[in-house]
Amino acid sequence: MGPLIVNEIISENANMLFAFLIGIGFGYILEANGFSSSRRLAGMFYGYDTTVLKVFFTAAVVGALGLLFLSLFGQIDLNFIYINPTYLYSAIGGGVIMGAGFILGGYCPGTSFCAASIGKIDAMAFIGGIFIGILVFTEGFPLWEEFYNAKFLGAPVLNEVIGTSRGVLTLGIILVALAMFWVGEWAEKKFARDDYTINQK
Amino acid sequence: MKGKARLLLAAIIIPLGLIIAAVPENTTKQYKLTPEQMLEEVNGGTQFIHPDEVANMLIQKDPTLQLIDVRSADEYEKFSLPNSINIPLVDILNPQWSDYINQDLKLNVFYSNGTNDANQAWMITRQLGYQNNYVLQGGVNYWAETIMNPEAPAEGSPNEEIIKYNLRKGAGMALGGEAVNAAPATVSKSAKPPITKRKKKKAVQGGC
Repeated sequence: MGPLIVNEIISENANMLFAFLIGIGFGYILEANGFSSSRRLAGMFYGYDTTVLKVFFTAAVVGALGLLFLSLFGQIDLNFIYINPTYLYSAIGGGVIMGAGFILGGYCPGTSFCAASIGKIDAMAFIGGIFIGILVFTEGFPLWEEFYNAKFLGAPVLNEVIGTSRGVLTLGIILVALAMFWVGEWAEKKFARDDYTINQK
Repeated sequence: MKGKARLLLAAIIIPLGLIIAAVPENTTKQYKLTPEQMLEEVNGGTQFIHPDEVANMLIQKDPTLQLIDVRSADEYEKFSLPNSINIPLVDILNPQWSDYINQDLKLNVFYSNGTNDANQAWMITRQLGYQNNYVLQGGVNYWAETIMNPEAPAEGSPNEEIIKYNLRKGAGMALGGEAVNAAPATVSKSAKPPITKRKKKKAVQGGC
């Protein structure tokens, strides 16, 4: 039956409504996990708090399993799932810029809105930075257009690149994720900071 | 406490991962319609396009019209509608035709002698999820009856009947039919078929 909108089970307007509700859910989960704390987010890079890794990989694994089981029972056609196309150089360049901004500012774009909504001034400054970045990027687009469109790879998926099935790849990611969680919690003890308690109120 | 949460998570996702790694991938193409939806469409007759409409599009040289003859090549050789292509029903799933029947630019109209074969072609393409495929109502037989040899309405028929007759006769002449008798003089000025464009279905695309 799925995806709902491709098969005309719901209208595009209903789709927007669902997106809005899911967005609220996403914001709630971010806030409930303390993602509006820049110290928690930055802790990922220093090793004293790896909650970000755990939350996002758990979400990815749950999402992957959910899609594969829905497909297994014929409830969704994975051919219709949109896969973001890959432009290799701009993906790498964007990743570097995003990572640098993440360490410097203490937020990623989504969590900055989360933190701004509970009144954090540094997050509002961060959002200002996002808009300056958008402005510079769009106004200067002709300068980096070539780089932006370089090395277009279509929409490759990892399991096809390494020549295995989606299920086997997912199992592999599950095992890797669990290993990373274990390493992460070891790191939290190893790099613990006196002035920071995980899951502080 | 933390170790416990990790064990619990592992206890849930590792077995699920093992299951999903072990089962074959579901590669079956989903049908676009349930049998109930199909029945509703067949009963509603939404796939039919009336010969008048097709004749109009042909006269207007509407580039979006694509007539597809699903009869055998022999029959196609003997008689076919203008600008039609021949895809025999038995051959409809041949990949060489997929560009014609699976597209969202043109309005495909299947036709056969009656409507049976064209309807079958339409049902197959509909179930494959292809858009913009229709069926010529009544097929070639009805086409010959209405467009090529329209029956003159009886004296004193309602005006609409006479107008329709004139349109058909004009179309028939334009498309090489035999209707050459003069029209009733009263309404002959409006012999040009009106332009009525069928609204094209909007293509549905996935994406974010």
